Amino acid sequence: MPQQPQAQPSPTPPKKKKVRVPRVVNGIEQMAEIEVDDVAGPGWGPHDKHTLLNHRITRVDGPLKVSGAAKYTYDVRLPNMLYGRVRRCPHAHAKIKKFDSSAAMRMPGVKAIIQAPVTEVRYAGAPVAAVAATTPELAQDAARAILVEYEVLPHVVTPDLAIKPNAPRVLPEAQPAPATPSGSPAPGTGGEDNLTQKAKQGDLQKVEAAFANCDAVVEAEYRTPRLHHCCLETHGMVVDFSGGETATIYATTQGTFTIPQDAARELGLQQSAVTATVQHMGGGFGSKFGIGIEGLMACRLSKETKSPVKLMLTRSDEFLMAGNRSGSWQKLKGGAKKDGTLVALQATQYRLGGVGQGSQAGQPYSVYRAGDFYREIYALHTNEDSAIAMRAPGHPQTSFAMESMLDELAYKIGMDPVAFRKKNMPDAMYHRQLDRAAREINWANRNATPGGGPGPLKRGIGCAAGTWGGGGNDQCKVDVTVGRDGSVTVAVGTQDLGTGTRTFTRAIVAEELGLGIKDVLEQIGNSKLGGANSSGGSTTAASLSPSVKDAAYKARMELAGKFSALLGNAKPEEIVFANGNVTGGGKSIAWKQACAVLPPAGIVAHGVWRSDLQSRGVHGVVFAEVEVDVETGKVRPIKMLQVQDGGLPLNRLTMESQINGGMIQGLGMALFETRVMDADLGLQVNPSFMDYKLPGCLEMPELIPLIDDEDKREVVIGIAEAAIIPAIGALANAVFNACGARIRELPITPDKVLMALAAERRSA
Amino acid sequence: MSDEHEPKKKSDRHDPSRRKFLKGVGVAGAGAALVDHIIAPDTGANTKKSIVAGQPVNGNVDIVLDVNGAKRNVSVEPRTTLLNALRNHLEPAVTGPKLVCDMGSCGACTVLMDGKNVYSCLVLAVDAVGKKLTTVEGFGTPEKMSAVQAAFVEHDGLMCGFCTPGFVTTISAFLKKNANPSLDEVREACKGNFCRCGTYPRVFEAALAAAKSSMRS
Repeated sequence: MPQQPQAQPSPTPPKKKKVRVPRVVNGIEQMAEIEVDDVAGPGWGPHDKHTLLNHRITRVDGPLKVSGAAKYTYDVRLPNMLYGRVRRCPHAHAKIKKFDSSAAMRMPGVKAIIQAPVTEVRYAGAPVAAVAATTPELAQDAARAILVEYEVLPHVVTPDLAIKPNAPRVLPEAQPAPATPSGSPAPGTGGEDNLTQKAKQGDLQKVEAAFANCDAVVEAEYRTPRLHHCCLETHGMVVDFSGGETATIYATTQGTFTIPQDAARELGLQQSAVTATVQHMGGGFGSKFGIGIEGLMACRLSKETKSPVKLMLTRSDEFLMAGNRSGSWQKLKGGAKKDGTLVALQATQYRLGGVGQGSQAGQPYSVYRAGDFYREIYALHTNEDSAIAMRAPGHPQTSFAMESMLDELAYKIGMDPVAFRKKNMPDAMYHRQLDRAAREINWANRNATPGGGPGPLKRGIGCAAGTWGGGGNDQCKVDVTVGRDGSVTVAVGTQDLGTGTRTFTRAIVAEELGLGIKDVLEQIGNSKLGGANSSGGSTTAASLSPSVKDAAYKARMELAGKFSALLGNAKPEEIVFANGNVTGGGKSIAWKQACAVLPPAGIVAHGVWRSDLQSRGVHGVVFAEVEVDVETGKVRPIKMLQVQDGGLPLNRLTMESQINGGMIQGLGMALFETRVMDADLGLQVNPSFMDYKLPGCLEMPELIPLIDDEDKREVVIGIAEAAIIPAIGALANAVFNACGARIRELPITPDKVLMALAAERRSA
Repeated sequence: MSDEHEPKKKSDRHDPSRRKFLKGVGVAGAGAALVDHIIAPDTGANTKKSIVAGQPVNGNVDIVLDVNGAKRNVSVEPRTTLLNALRNHLEPAVTGPKLVCDMGSCGACTVLMDGKNVYSCLVLAVDAVGKKLTTVEGFGTPEKMSAVQAAFVEHDGLMCGFCTPGFVTTISAFLKKNANPSLDEVREACKGNFCRCGTYPRVFEAALAAAKSSMRS
């Protein structure tokens, strides 16, 4: 690790430099240019020189979580606390004609009922009222007892019907679409049909001409359904307010700092009087930013009753009103030369975001170069809850379609799918990752003839690649405090979603000061601890770790100055902090003994974000092996292997876990998960864990998360979203390699496999 | 169910027995009309009753639950699930078991009842009276973890941690029955538990490692 001296204080302001950083709005990244100090400071140093980072560190909150001692928002119970419950609209499109809560108000235990500020509801499940009562059971009774009469209006809940000329209109005419996250910033309007946000790019005539010179052309439609985040801890919060001037909000959130402003407004308090806290949270995956409608209602109930209110959504609420992943419908036409060059691509892409705008990256997916391309992208609306950010918003959809189409082209021209991909990948890091993964999974010996061989069980291997940003921004302020007793505390307002934020925060400080992981305590997840980022866009590691490193480095330099006298007046920059000792001037003193010379209040070092300690841009490839039973259509995943770069791995153990998690969520998207809608009733058929199929123990393949250590960049980059993207295309391509049937609509369920096999037989 | 073929007597409509309650739940999913039958108009302290075997119950009832070796007094409605009694009614609360699906499909609320793992969202609190209940808190503490808990930490068998208490409980019960399981047996044992973060492979590793460490000691 470099031991540079701290820059001398200078009378002139520090030099500035401009950097581009992601700004996360509701979990969606947008790039912005900011100015940061351009001064010398700490560096991470080579990956093999770390004593804690880039090692396997068990998570510091593990013991709390495995013993039931970790307190989540859902576990908070306060004296005199009331329980909130939501009443939802059962119609896909309706006007509220009558609302009468008087009978419900007279029921036992009921303290308050509020009506949601809506008169027209555009999706089934939209909240229309909320109740506060003394137990959840009584709140549920009262929520049911509210009398709501509706005028039911025409609805449309499937994209195929929504795109028809005379389909019922989803959004009101000439009004901006609800402000929901989208890859496209321009607000849409409800036009004469259910298509909004029309955008075109490329030269159609040029592309059409290019197709004429292709050796192979594939034209096909690919579809991905709307998916649910399925956070095990549902959305919600506990509003600790009993009248008075201050409030504390316990929120299950990815953005501690997204809470106080809205909560303060609802409670009629100053923003500085509201503290938001999240110590542990049960999953977010992009869905937990801001207070949400449930938080808004919890605040209003609390304000009205002057009592603490806990409003956690029920599981069915969660499915019906807490957002979902945008579906997609993509019509692709791709053309390639015999040598494997992709020369033309035409795409019509529909984002299926319900009443929201949805998200979908544009084709060609940015891993690949496609020669000439032309694309049209639309939001196609249905009467469904708005899509919101979900792990890598818009990427898995686009990646699945592109990877499937590339695979089809490769088979059509008779080229190895890996070689075909490399031919069209400008970034050589992918080539290295593909080669390594191919070696590890024995790609060379994969099934030579899709669908060939004896017996009903067919094995196949497929591959795909992904890309993500993962850079940080300058929102984290970090304090490192070293006490006279040798205690070390690192404090930052950001939150740990279960990704291991607490652990790496501790580890950075411990490593810098030459201490063990247990010698440092972290304080996180509290809006009073100093500004911090929201955990969206994989920005947390790259936002937080540079600030922590900077604070720890400044603490070390200040301590070195103070310890110098103990160490024969050794130069501060030459004092070594290692193994719980400080060493210099030929002497070595134990950490605690050295700290005894500190002033009574200890020292505090303030860290700021350093753009040079992080970067953006990760790759990643997945190879998947499956077994398809061509008699039943069942797909059994056998093995999934991901090679993932991410600059400096802060903690190898938790990074591998996150890669596993990405592969498993990709497995769910590829084979199991879908929101099923009843077109006539306008209702979701499967809003429960009984009917929404998640990947479970019995479906788990062998999972091999491989960190790409060839990536020597001495910077931190987030990998959470990158981890989910390539698995889906890899599995779909493996299914084809196994059985010779191409399934272009997710999830790849047995019925679709059998239908595709039958179609293959007919055309053969 | 033969009950369904019994002639309906008018008096049945207000029979608040648990048998009728459960039958109602099965048919109607505890609708509001049913609730009217089962709860007294006032659930204040003066209506609290104790359970007498064979007697119907309504209003709040005072029960004693044996949780992690301690006798805990609690007053609940007959419809209150064991999970909600632990989390919302016991003072202080027992919040290790998590409420996730509330319909017996995800396993996050798993507890042991007389040594057998059950979904506590599917057990009525009044039906847990007289049973020895063990929650994840009963296996160890952060300072003194059980072999299974320590293996979860060591092998990173958790991320957000919301499913973890259920998995720890299920695996702890399973290893008592099968001290030296295969990977497939572990999968089978945990198939009633969901994880969304994707910890499964490391949960399996943790279970196998815990079995090995217990065999050694």
